[in-house]
Amino acid sequence: MSLSCIIVEDLQVAADYLSRCCEKSGLVSVKAHYTNVAEALEYLNKNAIDLLFLDVEMPGATGFELLDQLAYHPKVILTTSKSEYAYSAFEYNVTDFLKKPFTYQRFLDAVHKLISNNNAETSPSNNNDHIFIKSDGKLVRLKNDDILFMESMGDYVKFVTNDKKYVTHNTIKHLEEKINRQCFIKVHRSYIINITKIDDIRENDLYIKGFEIPISKAHRAEIIKRLNII
Amino acid sequence: MTQPPPSKNFIFSEKIDSDYLFSLYADDLPYIEEVYSITLNHFDEDLEHIRQAWISGDITNLKRATHKMKPAMGFAGLTGIQQQCMEFEELCQKVPSIDRLKDTYHQLITTLAESKVLIGSEYERLKAHNANTPCP
Repeated sequence: MSLSCIIVEDLQVAADYLSRCCEKSGLVSVKAHYTNVAEALEYLNKNAIDLLFLDVEMPGATGFELLDQLAYHPKVILTTSKSEYAYSAFEYNVTDFLKKPFTYQRFLDAVHKLISNNNAETSPSNNNDHIFIKSDGKLVRLKNDDILFMESMGDYVKFVTNDKKYVTHNTIKHLEEKINRQCFIKVHRSYIINITKIDDIRENDLYIKGFEIPISKAHRAEIIKRLNII
Repeated sequence: MTQPPPSKNFIFSEKIDSDYLFSLYADDLPYIEEVYSITLNHFDEDLEHIRQAWISGDITNLKRATHKMKPAMGFAGLTGIQQQCMEFEELCQKVPSIDRLKDTYHQLITTLAESKVLIGSEYERLKAHNANTPCP
């Protein structure tokens, strides 16, 4: 199965070369190419992809500004001609950093690194099946499978399980980085849900055990992608 | 008798780092022709961005426009000019005013204009070579 990607790059010859590397590898399928952040963002808000090849310096906004505005986090490989972005790349947790021009072998190394990281993240040994939350002065163990969803309440988050609700001092943004992404998905700025608990989806809402949860436009594509639609 | 690979039948100008080109494109001369074609199609526009930034005294845009031209030179095998662009870009960050860049700017513009002529002539030679080389 190949990874879906888009290329955000304002230098035509670099974008063309990158497309060619993707095609040659048989590992990555290029869905689109954009030369600026605004157009790329519009695409990414409607379509979920696995991988983003991202230049940093482009007309208008930078590649890092695009990452700041993204509602979900595809894997990112930066393509730039400046080494000084390496530190920021690390801060943004990008998978790799390709300094232009790069060889096909260097491209392959980056893609293999990404695939290998993906495998590690989804392997059972790393697949934590529970979390601990602080609630009522104690640490409470919650099995992922028991959690229906998490709802933001300002500086607090409500965890709703099959039979109980817990309120803990936390934020959805912080939880988003900690949760098991195989089980949970952010569907709205105020909600993270257990994807295996969805009963049905209608228009811009989804339902879990009678709870109505809004789906934001920015997250819709990623949710649809994760569903097992046959 | 074994034929040499097609790339060995084409000798690039000595100003072009052919080893680097072949390492990037794996001896694929038709693709190098395509790379040159794309580079030439965008060259004037990209060079004009540098000129306009200079005329308007906008050092940020001058740096940005040079930054874009830099890898384009690398993709064309002009590694020395890529390095020159990088040094100019770094200078843009260091100097207190754009006036201090005058000499270096004019050198860069002259070099880039010469590069376009070089890429253009190499493109024409490659096109003719590829047209006369049977597909493998």
